[in-house]
Amino acid sequence: MAAAHSHAHAEIKNPGNLKVSGGAKALFLVLIAVGLGCFGYLLATAPARAWSTFLVNHFFFMSLGLSGVFFAAIHAVTGSMWSAPVRRVAESFTGYLPIAALTLIAVFVGTATGQIYEWTHGDVVAADQMLTAKSGYLNVPFFIVRNALVFGALFLFARKFVANSLKQDQTKSFAESARNAALAPGFLIVFALGFTMMSFDQIMSLDPHWFSTIFGVYCFSGLYYSFWALMALSTHGLEKRGLLKGVVNENHFHDIGKFMFAFTVFWAYIGFSQFMLIWYANLPEETRFYLARFDTKWLGLSIFLVVKFALPFFLLLPRAAKRNARHLRRVAVFMLVAQWIDILWLVQPNFFPEGPNLDLFDLGVALGFVGAFAWAVTRFLSKNPVLAYGDPRLAESVHHHHQ
Amino acid sequence: MAGKNTAGIVGFFSDERALLQAAAKVKDAQYLSFDAFSPYPVHGLDQAMGLRRSWLPYVTFGGGLTGVTLGYLLQWWTSSQSWPVNVGGKPFNSVPAWVPVIFELTILFAGVSTVVALILGCRLPNVKKRAFDPAITRDRFAVMIEAPCGGAAPAGGKKFDESEITSFLKSIGAQDVRVVAEEGWF
Repeated sequence: MAAAHSHAHAEIKNPGNLKVSGGAKALFLVLIAVGLGCFGYLLATAPARAWSTFLVNHFFFMSLGLSGVFFAAIHAVTGSMWSAPVRRVAESFTGYLPIAALTLIAVFVGTATGQIYEWTHGDVVAADQMLTAKSGYLNVPFFIVRNALVFGALFLFARKFVANSLKQDQTKSFAESARNAALAPGFLIVFALGFTMMSFDQIMSLDPHWFSTIFGVYCFSGLYYSFWALMALSTHGLEKRGLLKGVVNENHFHDIGKFMFAFTVFWAYIGFSQFMLIWYANLPEETRFYLARFDTKWLGLSIFLVVKFALPFFLLLPRAAKRNARHLRRVAVFMLVAQWIDILWLVQPNFFPEGPNLDLFDLGVALGFVGAFAWAVTRFLSKNPVLAYGDPRLAESVHHHHQ
Repeated sequence: MAGKNTAGIVGFFSDERALLQAAAKVKDAQYLSFDAFSPYPVHGLDQAMGLRRSWLPYVTFGGGLTGVTLGYLLQWWTSSQSWPVNVGGKPFNSVPAWVPVIFELTILFAGVSTVVALILGCRLPNVKKRAFDPAITRDRFAVMIEAPCGGAAPAGGKKFDESEITSFLKSIGAQDVRVVAEEGWF
């Protein structure tokens, strides 16, 4: 008893880094190669399909890359304690951000060459009074400058934030927590405004006649919906490999499960808010978005979005479900796929109004992004400790959750 | 003093860790009934005491389902059956417009039914019960081994023996052990 007691207060040791096997690394690289090959093939044969698929995956994975540092920033601002054992897991998602920068540059190329957005076509804009009026905002140079600036700012914030966190592993001092707590509010403001802007620019402007002020929040709610799913998956994966043993237990999974549940409801709340106001007001310039998705073969995926809410809602409702890591993992996989389909539902009707248009090459591009994300995140975790073991709040959290 | 007038025997502890350990030991000693007192919620106490999961969430769920159903029926009946009114050319039974009210009634029914069930389940309000020591609302933690009603030891329960319980509570680290009379608590 005495031994167990003193153990709870003992200093938490560095659990080490993730060991990524050569086979796994090779698999990720093969997936990336497959993705590049499929994208190249589509680009040569069907550019519209290539860019629509690319944009879906770019936005989905860029959101996940940004989500980790958003989570860490929120928890720095609030001085949160429970999340200390899983903070590094979230921070590892930022490992993907350099690749997100590259895919953003690719989107710029697609934009500048007029292959993605209708408003990049000079003749279309000139013939359309509405687009001419919007051209002060929707023009290629401004699009590239503002998206590059916002992404660059978020990227630099994330780097500084994670660097402080990694430094704390050595110093074990509260000064780094304080520094990040001071950095976080600025990040959160830039993130809120910047991510809204990127959602408007990169997704909403696919249909430049349509507008919805809640659209940025809708994209954010999807970002955080998928973040918690990925968090459950990654934490479970590391715990299964024994890297978070004695640090993470079913109480932490319970907390993650509660957040998965909460942001399932939040996403549905925001999604329905957007839908109901447009449906009620029934203005032609607003309803066109939903008509394009209801009166076509897109209706099936529109109905699927109800399942995106209802399935996790009921699967995560019981307490025991949220405390079962393997159950959470299954729900998390569904949630990630559902979020991907949601972005597909936002993007593709602008390219293929008649209905969903997917084949094996789209799958190949998606697998390429999965490979790139997995490669970048596992690389981060293999270069850095998987636990922020220098965090003064960690001992408290471990102790708190183990009573 | 044992018997009818004794509500129970209470042991005081100075911190939550001591309370958690004491609660687990009292549970293992298998007294008929005992309770723990703390100034604030202590994580893991229900587990240490061996309490079963509360039945309250099922009330909440039932209340929520009732709210969903009634919320829909209310609007369906008033807007499309009893007094149909054409609003903006929309169908009489326009489900999207019902959702906010359904949502609110779900929350209302789930919330109110939970509070009512909690009050009934705790047999509140009870003006007769008083805290046996104001310190348990401030800075002290306590475990009370309760006397069986009427003073008789029921079948299967451990005999309520004042001196045995007093020495037991001391042996598990109580700083102070007191016999609480019914007047003080019940």
